[in-house]
Amino acid sequence: MINRRRLLQAAIAAPAIIGAPARSAGTIQMISHRYPALEYYAEKMRTAIPGVAVNTQLMPIDKAIELATIALSAKSDTPDIVYASDTTFQTFVKNGWFRPLDDLWARYADEFALADFPQAALDTYRYDGHLYVMPHTLNTMMFFYRKDLLDQAGKSPPVTIAGYRDLAKSLNSPLRSGSINCLKPVDAAVNETHWYLNALGDGWFDADWHPAFNTPKSVAAIEMLKDVTRSAQQGFTTAANDECAIAYQQDTGVMGLQWATRAKAMDDPAKSRIIGKIDWTAPPQGHARIAGDGYAISAFSKQDPDVLFRIIATSASQASMRGAASLLIPPRKSVLDDPSLRDANRFYPAALASYVAGTPAPKLPEFNAIGEFVTRRILQAVTGESTVKVALDAAAGETETFLKGHGYYKG
Amino acid sequence: MLFPLGYAVWLSLFNYDLGSGSRAFIALGNYTDLLSDNRFWASLNRTVGIVLAAVGLEFCLGLAIAYGLYRLTFGVRILNLLMFLPNIVTPVVAALFLRWIFMGRWGLIAGTLIGLGIFPPDFLGDPAWARVTVVLADSWQFTPFMILVLYAGLNTVDQSQIEAAQIDGAGALTLLFRIMLPAIRPLIVFVLAIRLMDAFRFFDTIYVLTSGGPGTATETITLYTYALAFRLLQVGKASALGVLTLIFVAILVAVMIRVVYRREKGAF
Repeated sequence: MINRRRLLQAAIAAPAIIGAPARSAGTIQMISHRYPALEYYAEKMRTAIPGVAVNTQLMPIDKAIELATIALSAKSDTPDIVYASDTTFQTFVKNGWFRPLDDLWARYADEFALADFPQAALDTYRYDGHLYVMPHTLNTMMFFYRKDLLDQAGKSPPVTIAGYRDLAKSLNSPLRSGSINCLKPVDAAVNETHWYLNALGDGWFDADWHPAFNTPKSVAAIEMLKDVTRSAQQGFTTAANDECAIAYQQDTGVMGLQWATRAKAMDDPAKSRIIGKIDWTAPPQGHARIAGDGYAISAFSKQDPDVLFRIIATSASQASMRGAASLLIPPRKSVLDDPSLRDANRFYPAALASYVAGTPAPKLPEFNAIGEFVTRRILQAVTGESTVKVALDAAAGETETFLKGHGYYKG
Repeated sequence: MLFPLGYAVWLSLFNYDLGSGSRAFIALGNYTDLLSDNRFWASLNRTVGIVLAAVGLEFCLGLAIAYGLYRLTFGVRILNLLMFLPNIVTPVVAALFLRWIFMGRWGLIAGTLIGLGIFPPDFLGDPAWARVTVVLADSWQFTPFMILVLYAGLNTVDQSQIEAAQIDGAGALTLLFRIMLPAIRPLIVFVLAIRLMDAFRFFDTIYVLTSGGPGTATETITLYTYALAFRLLQVGKASALGVLTLIFVAILVAVMIRVVYRREKGAF
């Protein structure tokens, strides 16, 4: 018999019966960068919890960061789940835009086998001792090259950047550029510049966060970048990862730097004309960028944090990550150490070698903002609108002014 | 209208960093910073150059086509309609469409020319060509507006003046430059003022086509404002730049109207 007491009992028991979704109101909004691995994770989030609608908006990284910045700076309660990289998360956390995950991490540690994440991967996303992001990928820039073309020319992959420049020049032709460069501001240009500055120059900053990218060694490093781009594909100044990956796939370039997460797509018959022809190695002289991607919860979300965490954790579960292993370097020990996956993905050895030889971005919350004016100045130099020295000195001046305004250099 | 304007002026008096949330009153500090900022002057110069080139091209093309339509004896309505189409397309959509046309290597133009064995310049990646492309893109979209207004203006010219000039032996060009254009001068000032104001706010097309690049080759005042507000999160400074832009455009249009008004009292 149905009476008021029964109804009340049923109402109380309902969430337990149908699960946490009952507490979640409306569609959950997620903003993310887009590449094959993240598209895979987005799909996992959409289906993570039956009955919970997740709207995933995927876009190029600069657009994703801008959209998230605009929304979160306005304290908007959407998005709920936000893409974060090793650099963007610092900015967002410093501004108070992300919710710490420590309590949720502890609560769901067993259910989602969270101890499986390497401490180093988690440390990347800690700020003031708190964890803010669940890692979904480890990423590294590798050196992509056309093995068939180098074999035909009797050449080996370059071991120095000067060797890369010379080889690119010798293989450059109107229909197929010797080098593929991605210098679209901000993110792509930062990535490429990072390699030259760290392998040949003095890096981005000194120990006190004063610019080191305009020292004589760093100026020479960017001069080298400018030299390499003389053999670059058309449109390299507006090319980001998507455009560069297409340049490889459509057989219009020979070699260059690219993220490991783009490696698998080189052998995708639906997208690539160069199946089996690309090979990978660690970038000459090392020090290319290593990074990671993950997802965080907005501090302003009105959705149930448990639901949001479960969605993120489901997409990063062991099973999910095993399915994504061909698209990325998985940040779970159980997947990373699986020999069958290593054998099945021929880019893994180069990716791991690149990761070991790589260098992370500076641990500076303002790094993305600084990248905005530094990369524009570098582009001015590369396109001949300014000399390298003048451009880098101008960028250094702007950087110091900006950081001073943010409380650096006191005393 | 006054509230957002007033709020922008108010914000421009603060060192307001959206990221850190810090907000300190600095009076005219943002303005003095901007006026001593090379990037501000460079973007202003670039804006003036792009705006003058785009509006100039739109006016010349618009006038030529409007006069052609004026002299046409059939099909004017359908041609007018077809030519107005680019103007009713949303700028972002138009810019995406144009990006696929001008894109290096894969774009419609580059792809076609490379297929014919001709290697075109990098329209969006070369600084000089990027500026040309941005001007062409704006002209493609807004020349129809010029055509429409000028064509309407030409049709208002007193027919008796035209017939008198024709009896005196005036040719087509003499008729246009000596009779018709002077007659519609206030309309020309109006359409140029409207387009100049509009072009100074030129943002969406450049944002999609080049994002202000390569480097800062196509970075206009509005793109610099956007970078300050949403990339560097310096809302106070971005507001000050918005106010400076407003003042600059207001002065420009006032000078234009003043010049015409002094030449021809009663025009406005």
